[in-house]
Amino acid sequence: MADRDPALAEAPAPGGYVGRAVRTLEGRAPIVGAARYSNDFRFPGQLHAAIVRSPHARARILKVDLSGARKVAGVVLAMDGREVATHLGPIPHYIDPATFGGKSAEVRTMAVDHVWCHGQPVAVVVAEDRRTARWAAAKVQVAYEVEPAVLSVEDAIAPDAPRVVPGWDDNVIMAVPFRNGDPDAAFARADHVVATTVRIHRFSTQPIETRCYNAVWEEETESLTLYGTAQNPHPLRHVLSKVLGMPEGRIRVHAPAIGGAFGMKMHGHPEESLVCLLAKLLRRPVKWVETREECLLIGAREQVHHLELAFSRQGDLLALRDRFFANTGAPSACPGWGMAFLTGLTMPGPYRVRDIDVTMTALVTNKPSWNAARGYGKEATALALELALDEAARQLGFDPAELRLRNFIPADAFPYASPTGLQYDSGDYAGAVRKAMEAIGWDGWRARQAEGPKDGRYLGLGIAYELTPEGGALPGTMVAGYDSSTVRVAPDGSVRVLTGVTTPGTGNPTGIAQIVADELGCPIEWISVVQGDTTTCPYGFGNYSGRSTIVGGGSAALAARAVREQMLKVAAAMLGVGVQALRLSNGVFDSGDGRTLSFAEVAYAAYTRAYDVASCITPPLEAQATFRPPSIRHSPDADGRINPYPSYSNAAYAAVVEVDSETGQVKLLGLAAAHDCGRVINPLLVEGQACGAIAFGVGGALMEEIRFDDAGHQLTRSFMDYVMPRAEDMPGVTMVHHDSPNPDTYMGLKGAGEAGVGGSAAAVVNAVNDALKPFGVAIHDLPLTPARVWAAIHGSGAAGGAA
Amino acid sequence: MSLYPSLARPRTLADAAALLASLSSGGVVIAGGQELMPSINAGVLAPEVYVDIGGLAELRGIAETPEGLLAIGALTVHRELQTHPLVTAKLPLLGHAATRAGGGRQVHNRGTIGGNLVAQHPLYDLAPSLLALEAEVEWVKGSETVRQPLAAMLADSRHGLGSEAILARVLVVPMAEGLGFAYEKLKASGGAYGSANAAALVKLTNGRVAAVRLVVGAVAERLLDASAAAAALLVGRPFDAAAGAALAHAVSALVTAPLSDAQGPGPWRQAMAGVVARRAVAAAVQRAGRA
Repeated sequence: MADRDPALAEAPAPGGYVGRAVRTLEGRAPIVGAARYSNDFRFPGQLHAAIVRSPHARARILKVDLSGARKVAGVVLAMDGREVATHLGPIPHYIDPATFGGKSAEVRTMAVDHVWCHGQPVAVVVAEDRRTARWAAAKVQVAYEVEPAVLSVEDAIAPDAPRVVPGWDDNVIMAVPFRNGDPDAAFARADHVVATTVRIHRFSTQPIETRCYNAVWEEETESLTLYGTAQNPHPLRHVLSKVLGMPEGRIRVHAPAIGGAFGMKMHGHPEESLVCLLAKLLRRPVKWVETREECLLIGAREQVHHLELAFSRQGDLLALRDRFFANTGAPSACPGWGMAFLTGLTMPGPYRVRDIDVTMTALVTNKPSWNAARGYGKEATALALELALDEAARQLGFDPAELRLRNFIPADAFPYASPTGLQYDSGDYAGAVRKAMEAIGWDGWRARQAEGPKDGRYLGLGIAYELTPEGGALPGTMVAGYDSSTVRVAPDGSVRVLTGVTTPGTGNPTGIAQIVADELGCPIEWISVVQGDTTTCPYGFGNYSGRSTIVGGGSAALAARAVREQMLKVAAAMLGVGVQALRLSNGVFDSGDGRTLSFAEVAYAAYTRAYDVASCITPPLEAQATFRPPSIRHSPDADGRINPYPSYSNAAYAAVVEVDSETGQVKLLGLAAAHDCGRVINPLLVEGQACGAIAFGVGGALMEEIRFDDAGHQLTRSFMDYVMPRAEDMPGVTMVHHDSPNPDTYMGLKGAGEAGVGGSAAAVVNAVNDALKPFGVAIHDLPLTPARVWAAIHGSGAAGGAA
Repeated sequence: MSLYPSLARPRTLADAAALLASLSSGGVVIAGGQELMPSINAGVLAPEVYVDIGGLAELRGIAETPEGLLAIGALTVHRELQTHPLVTAKLPLLGHAATRAGGGRQVHNRGTIGGNLVAQHPLYDLAPSLLALEAEVEWVKGSETVRQPLAAMLADSRHGLGSEAILARVLVVPMAEGLGFAYEKLKASGGAYGSANAAALVKLTNGRVAAVRLVVGAVAERLLDASAAAAALLVGRPFDAAAGAALAHAVSALVTAPLSDAQGPGPWRQAMAGVVARRAVAAAVQRAGRA
């Protein structure tokens, strides 16, 4: 175990801003329409780019004829992929599979002579306005020789399957075994083995703000600025420097307000470097705004799990086997494929089983590429495990809650070394399940269910658990576990926090400001938080993996503490007392003998009396600090395993549904969650995040799906086809907290941004399957659309009898 | 096709009709824009001339005609259908269907009855009720004014977006006192289009079905007028569970080529046609019984 960082124990006493439901400082601007999103950046002389995309899933490009587009008045440039490739190098992978022993495809900004998915960029047109650019793009003629596409994982693993990446010997990016103990022996001695196949479909995250990039060429300094939707400005700058062949010092990335990201605005997208190239070539600002149809091309999550669970007669889970396959679409430089790795690494979730035999196989296919999506593979672990456990409970006649309670890691076993090498920090899984069941009124619903169906409507109850490692760090990649902040106090006492973490709109600047206000002992209104700019902020890794408050807040606290020390020294000198005699709270230094100084007086003195009372410090009032969670371990253990996470959020979910046996419609009657994200900085922010993730889960379980035809054309092109939950689809969500502080982070924080998608989805699916119990059927193919539920009921042969 | 289309705003219906006739295929009528603009934004349509009829007073308003019909101007928006006292009193089925139409309040405030019908979209919510009510439509093409049953217009492929004709009014016989009505809509989730819907009108005499009109939508390319099948099964009998089951079975059997799309696969749509038909008739019977 890593040594505890002594600084972690020194957090201010409770009673300040931390823990309170402070309204977001940055929330006013979007509400009054004053927030400045990427598309609100307009530059004189700005040009607009439109991208021509492949209508085919797999094809050879025979000829690209740009002449029609070039003839349109207002068009200034038209290029095909071959020409773009003469200017731009391959895009570096966010997480290169080769770093972990997998295969690394060369990913170009645009297709050069071969197309590997529907929607892949083939040509680009730049014009004086967006309309002209789109109009002219429609005039680009591309001759394709269409080839048979590889669409499913079954297609992809067939020995004679066409190769998605020309030159690869198969379609496997990476296959990883996660094996511990002696699973074969455990299966041999088991009383029961339950086999289940779980199919998780392709669903997405759809931020209301689609992606947008504005590239501006500064002739004076021969440098580029990208104003755009970027979760990770500094790492993106590094990528742009590699692709464009320019030093990082000549590139600035500025990420303004973001209207939702959920992983989709992590980088590796071809348009990032393409728009920069266009601005550089044309010496004029260039804008590209993603359409909703383009945004829907970014996939995630599609996996097939073949699970086997071995049980003793008493219901102890003795061993787990899972062969799972991820359909990650065409190769991409974005970090999407890594989701599959995390699905395996997070097995067996909150359960104490030690004998496991899990194999992850991440495959490329001719569907459009994945990018990271909230949950980052951990939602798939929860879905696979929780659906399989309920199937086991049904087959073996156990109560689903009892089966879980029997098999959880006990609360006194933390820190806990998981069979895949993770080190879980803390938790009380059984306690959380009991709280969630109580919150939803479990026993009352069970009693109503026992009264039998009414008018063909069947009640169902489901529970599920999700363990969500957050704050991840992968060695050799830009997925870093640490981050940095600078805290500055101005001569008037106002406080500026510059931090390397960014916000996708979650409110983390307010959480960081609460932490800094308590550390500095000043009102929160004096604090402003600056994020998302490579020129002004310390080098940082931005937003992903539920990290922003853990490492952004932790580093800001350490920096604020250093500034506080400086101010205390100055105040002590001004009052002629020892530092120990001073108390600082609510912006006032109090000597205890009736004399006080204001925060502003001390700040002004620190700047203006450097040869007098401030000679004891080094001006300005500014400090930078880094928080590096100590429990992340990248040196492999004897089995070659690492612990890439400092924080293991977890939550229990309970759902109640009513299934209309005649139509297959599922109505959600109740949802509850008991959530453990460690110490809660701001319950408003945590509950907002959790409710959002739960709605994601509901959408994924019941309705959201990206569909294709048999040739690999994507059919889902707008919100008319990709239907997310509306208010009428969501019941009230009862949130209760069940916090166990994390000993390895500042203030005991765990991530709170990612958890909930898989747990809530699994609870809903388990509730539907509970409702379907009288029909003797269960569905493990998602989503549970009314048609699918209806088909299960009416294919069961029990529809007449049970209804 | 032009990158820079023009906008025409004729002052009279006659001017608008004459202009459209002179434009051949390049012109398109725009009023509320709720159907047209998504098609244009998606690049499906690229008109040369938009003929904006939104300002034509002749197409506005809801009034009773001398022959006792309710005349609904083509520019009447869904929100008016939901709230107008004449619709509430005389055509409650239509008013009810308008509340179930897709889209939020903003869409209901802009989308017109004319646009809804001209789209000839199998999933839309106003046509089933109007067909059940045996509505007529009046449209203008060039200098000619044509009045025909809505059913005939919906079956005519020359109508739809981009047509040279302008729908002027919808004419409906007011519903008789005591007539039971219901519009039943089934959708996969709150934000989805309907997967099956049904509009029903039922007259009860002494607890027995005396007359029935039943139109089922969203399950096939064309709306299904199942009134004859429903009448054959139901008239002269009380509407009980057995009658409902027989009706559902009969209606599903009429759906020979179900739609199979993002709203659900064909076999389910076919089955749901029967379910919504039975539910609509049951609800209409209940209302008629209360009257």
